Amino acid sequence: MPAAEPFCPACTAVQPPGQADHFARLGFARAYDVDPAAVERRYFELQRRLHPDRFATKSPKERALSQAQATSLNDAYETLMDPLGRAVYLLRLSGIDTGGDGKTVDDPALLMEAMEMREALAEARTPAEVDALVGRARAEAEACRVALARLFAGGDLAAAGKATLRLTYLDKLLDDARARRLNVA
Amino acid sequence: MAYSEKVIDHYNNPRNVGSLDKGAEDVGTGLVGAPACGDVMKLQIRVSADGIIQDAKFKTFGCGSAIASSSLATEWIKGKSLNDAETIKNTMIAQHLALPPVKIHCSVLAEDAIKAAIADYRAKATAKAAE
Repeated sequence: MPAAEPFCPACTAVQPPGQADHFARLGFARAYDVDPAAVERRYFELQRRLHPDRFATKSPKERALSQAQATSLNDAYETLMDPLGRAVYLLRLSGIDTGGDGKTVDDPALLMEAMEMREALAEARTPAEVDALVGRARAEAEACRVALARLFAGGDLAAAGKATLRLTYLDKLLDDARARRLNVA
Repeated sequence: MAYSEKVIDHYNNPRNVGSLDKGAEDVGTGLVGAPACGDVMKLQIRVSADGIIQDAKFKTFGCGSAIASSSLATEWIKGKSLNDAETIKNTMIAQHLALPPVKIHCSVLAEDAIKAAIADYRAKATAKAAE
């Protein structure tokens, strides 16, 4: 397991966060499949050791380093716990920019599906109609996550990129559905 | 981030919202999306036999800047020839709406939507001519 320990193993003094990736920072291998409970345990354990109270009597330099470590740790935690963020980050580590580099989406089937679902959501008039769409989107998002684990494990980054884009659209729809649910309730 | 008055105006009173008949042979449809934010934009044109855009409609699911960009785009292309409509650049849209740098991609989306709609119309016209 690659680990980027925030403390010196010899003298236990806090270290600069350095350039470790989000996976290494929490002691995980670079993979899409991570155990959220394990991420959570590791995160809270490290945050406890980096708590500002523990550095109240330390030097200003150590206080600053502990804060920098805590910030890096938060970034790592948020990325690893978010199925979409984790996919985007894994692709970025492989040099793939999911932002499209200013280009628009070149996947007509995906766009048609996204437009159709967003139109259906905009036209939903009852909570039950919104819930039906949310149910469908959640099931498809779950299928995307299962596919992503397989695709990243198999090193098929092109297909992982496509699945990530699809998950981006599904997540956006689910965000909108939350707002829509309040409007029709 | 503060939106410009023009963006707010288009957002509150979007011009030409709606759909045209996708299957009609005088209608071109452009469907584009922004990969980073999950926005999706549909822009449609109805073109006369002499190549003038008679009507334009859009439907955008996205932020205020994306809605304003597509609303403005439909306003600009109505009454223009296809060739003139093609000269509209995202920079013109961004400048008119005073879009901040982080929202430039919304104007890119609108430019690409115009181009995609024109390309779709031309493909249909070519297919029809070949019959």
